[in-house]
Amino acid sequence: MLSLQHISKYYQVSGLKNFVLNDLSLEIDEGEFISIMGPSGSGKSSLLNIIGMLDEPSEGYQYFVGNAVHQLKEKQRSALYKQYIGFVFQAYHLIDELTVAENIETPLIYQDFKSAERKAMVADMLDRFNIVGKKDLFPAQLSGGQQQLVGIARALIAKPKLLLADEPTGNLNSKQGEEIMELFRKLNKEDGVTIIQVTHSEKNAEYGSRIINLLDGKVESSKQL
Amino acid sequence: MIKNYFKIALRNLWKHKVFSFINITGLSIGITACFFIFMYVGFELSYDKFHSKADRIYRLVTDIKTPTETMNTGITAWPFAPNIKNDFPEVESFVRISGGSFLVRRGDVKFQEEKSAFADSTFFKVFDFKLLKGDPRTALSAPASIVFTETAAKKYFGNANPMGQTVLITGDAIPAIVTGLMKDMPENSQIKADMLISMSSLTQKFNKGLDNQWGNFGATSYLLLKPGTNPKALEAKFPGFIENHNGKERKSSQMFYTFFLEPLKSVYLYSKRGGQDSGSITNVYIFGIVAIFILLIACINFVNLTTARSVERAKEVGIRKVVGAEKSQLASQFIGESVVLCLIAFVLTILFSVLLLPLFNQLAGKTISAGVFSNWYYVLILLVTSVAIGLIAGIYPALVLSSFKPVMVLKGRFSSGNKGNALRKALVISQFSISIALIIGTIIVYTQMNFMQNRDLGFSKDQMLILDTNGDPAADAFKQAISILPGVKSTANSSSVPGGGNSGAYSEIENKKGDLQIANLDLYFVDYDYVNQFKIKMVAGRAFSREFGTDTAQAMLLNEAAVKMFGYSSPQQAVGRRFKQWGREGKIVGVMKDFHFRSLQEVIKPLSMRIELKQLGLISVKVSPQNITGTIAAIENKWKTLIPTRPFNYYFLDEFFDRQYRSEQRFGKLFFNFAVLAILISCLGLLGLASYSTLQRTREIGIRKVLGATVPGIVNMLSKDFLILVIISFFIAAPVSWFFMHKWLQDFAYRINISWWIFVLAGILAVLIALATISYQAIRAAMSNPVKSLRSE
Repeated sequence: MLSLQHISKYYQVSGLKNFVLNDLSLEIDEGEFISIMGPSGSGKSSLLNIIGMLDEPSEGYQYFVGNAVHQLKEKQRSALYKQYIGFVFQAYHLIDELTVAENIETPLIYQDFKSAERKAMVADMLDRFNIVGKKDLFPAQLSGGQQQLVGIARALIAKPKLLLADEPTGNLNSKQGEEIMELFRKLNKEDGVTIIQVTHSEKNAEYGSRIINLLDGKVESSKQL
Repeated sequence: MIKNYFKIALRNLWKHKVFSFINITGLSIGITACFFIFMYVGFELSYDKFHSKADRIYRLVTDIKTPTETMNTGITAWPFAPNIKNDFPEVESFVRISGGSFLVRRGDVKFQEEKSAFADSTFFKVFDFKLLKGDPRTALSAPASIVFTETAAKKYFGNANPMGQTVLITGDAIPAIVTGLMKDMPENSQIKADMLISMSSLTQKFNKGLDNQWGNFGATSYLLLKPGTNPKALEAKFPGFIENHNGKERKSSQMFYTFFLEPLKSVYLYSKRGGQDSGSITNVYIFGIVAIFILLIACINFVNLTTARSVERAKEVGIRKVVGAEKSQLASQFIGESVVLCLIAFVLTILFSVLLLPLFNQLAGKTISAGVFSNWYYVLILLVTSVAIGLIAGIYPALVLSSFKPVMVLKGRFSSGNKGNALRKALVISQFSISIALIIGTIIVYTQMNFMQNRDLGFSKDQMLILDTNGDPAADAFKQAISILPGVKSTANSSSVPGGGNSGAYSEIENKKGDLQIANLDLYFVDYDYVNQFKIKMVAGRAFSREFGTDTAQAMLLNEAAVKMFGYSSPQQAVGRRFKQWGREGKIVGVMKDFHFRSLQEVIKPLSMRIELKQLGLISVKVSPQNITGTIAAIENKWKTLIPTRPFNYYFLDEFFDRQYRSEQRFGKLFFNFAVLAILISCLGLLGLASYSTLQRTREIGIRKVLGATVPGIVNMLSKDFLILVIISFFIAAPVSWFFMHKWLQDFAYRINISWWIFVLAGILAVLIALATISYQAIRAAMSNPVKSLRSE
């Protein structure tokens, strides 16, 4: 599904290159559920951002569903991204001024769905995540676990092939975390969504089908479960 | 999508109520102020444009050159216009207007119609003043025909039809027939009158032969040129015309005329030759610039406050980008929001305008606009302006916001603080530069006004009551009667008083070389008591005196300016010299110290005074300050018995003199008000910025306090940044305002020097205002408990 070849990411600090990712190569197939682990500063989030096309590598080649991403223009990348990728964050990142239903609806707005279609899809999603009763509440009125559910619902509404999650359970207690992980597993197994998550927790990492360990911007180990 | 944006916009506005309030109020005040000035400027520019033939109407004006001086007058002698019409086929028609004040009586109703005018029968043909009743071609033809405005007619006839009725005009009770009723003249007409009398009454009845007096000036003449006529070409033919008709007389009198044509549409604003009502193009420009400045300040606020808040909106931008929004979509969202804000401001502006319009009309001294909704395009202009501001002011914040990188903003801390900072600072500096410049301008305008009102004018004007008998034969008896009243200290008769009009006389005065030099001198006819009454000082010779029987016919006083004009190096040299003036000959008996008989805008001109004991219109009465009302009542009593045919009118000389500064005072007031508005809007912006920058620095303040910073130290730190901006603004504003106000002061012959304290005062004021605005936020932030601010991290 995607392939990274000799990817480097660095920042120039007073003439010196400060490497975040250093000549990293990685292949990921459709249907995989990958957990990326590693100590702070090992480049986990940067890798995820590059995969999600939120950030560009300083060097290297990147392919996504048959497209050479490093050759694409911003607009094309954005189109590709819209079609295939959903993002979940540790801090949920919901829009505070919008209700639950409106938050979930937002991605559809940017994909030119008709209003009626959008309403139907949002209703569907609310139903699936059992949050119909909360649809008119604002994010501040929800618990962390509920907010993350909304975040996932928003990531999934446009039916992405790839779900990227940056420490999705980092702000949640263990029970809420488990529920989210179960949900991820189900999505991966039943709906065939490819998932890449960054996590600090060994336990959560084991929900995946492969664990990649990063150290100092390089793949230290890759373990198939 | 638009619905979604709209929702977000409104919820955002509601969530940050204080911010929205500041932003919207600032903007509405700015637009309202700008709108008012726009209406004012529009009104000033609209003068005389309602005449459908305005493009072809020209005012004929005359430069009169004597061996001594050249006078640029706005008037003509009576024969000019009719003869020009006869000689030049390109002149289609002409109108002469000559203003005056007339006693009008009908039964017991009597009024002194101060705003009356003689006008030629072509008046309604050349101009577009609307005649409601009567025939526009003949209404002003026959002698003793009168056309009233509706308002004037009501005074005499109520709601009855005035057509064909007779009224008695002048003290001689000459019967005149009402031949027309016209609409009140529009406010934006330079020509204004409540009553028109046919010009033939003057030229064929009151003053026969006037049509042949080429040296008697007093008519304002307008020429209607045929379409396609080049006024310059016509002007070029005038020297030959004058030579042809009146060349000999010109040569013998040594007074030479040059004619010019002033387009009617520019008379009000551009002509320096005066007129019934005159405006100032400089003031129009000044107000135009002020309006643009105020709007600019309001827009700057808008941009500043919006970009300052970008930190808060950054997260939303990041999320939207992550879920698939493109930059252009986000930019249009933010521009949309700013348009929504401006539409709310538009509604508020309408509200403000409706509420404040009467006040503004009062301030401007005329009905600039009857109502905001009286012109639908006003509302349209406001709407378009608001939306345009929303678009323009929204672009920069939109571009800044929409270009945030999601990775940066979503990864925890995001400081945009420094990015727009330089721009924000520059904008604050420009706002405060404008505000400080306006403060300096206001102080200078007021200092000048104060200077004019308090300057020693060289004559006494306090407790001086002026009564106008309009030359009634009973005036002398009346004067005798009131001079013995207890509250009356002294009385004097004269043709003129300072601040009012006076005649100019063809004069021959012996100059230093011993020749009789021709000049046009301002002339006051006075009685023996006048010089004393007004406490005018003599610098040489003596004042008029009853001891010299010859004073009534053969004595003249000059002022210092006149003495200088005729070449004398000291006033003493002029005493005993010969004069000839209006058929009288005699000697100069004394020289008066210069006194301001016109406003301080004009240099004191050469003035002559002569004795005339009969039929002087004005009686000046010096009253004792106690019980002035009682004294006036007693005077009125005497008036009613001795001059029963005329209405009793009086005014105080000091007020009458200050009336000359009415337009300057209005200018000052308007300027002051708009300066206050500009400062208010700037402060609103500063308040908003200060509160946001303090908010952003909450964590820093917390850390500093933990490390031991004191409250005053922190207040100082937070205020310093803004104060530096204000101080920089001061140094930009000071020279700019000096330059413009220096120019403005050039219109005044007697003016203040722009001294350093004005700038110091303005600077201190600006710093204090800014400090007061910032300090609340700073003190609150400094007092807050650091535990709270650090916990939120």
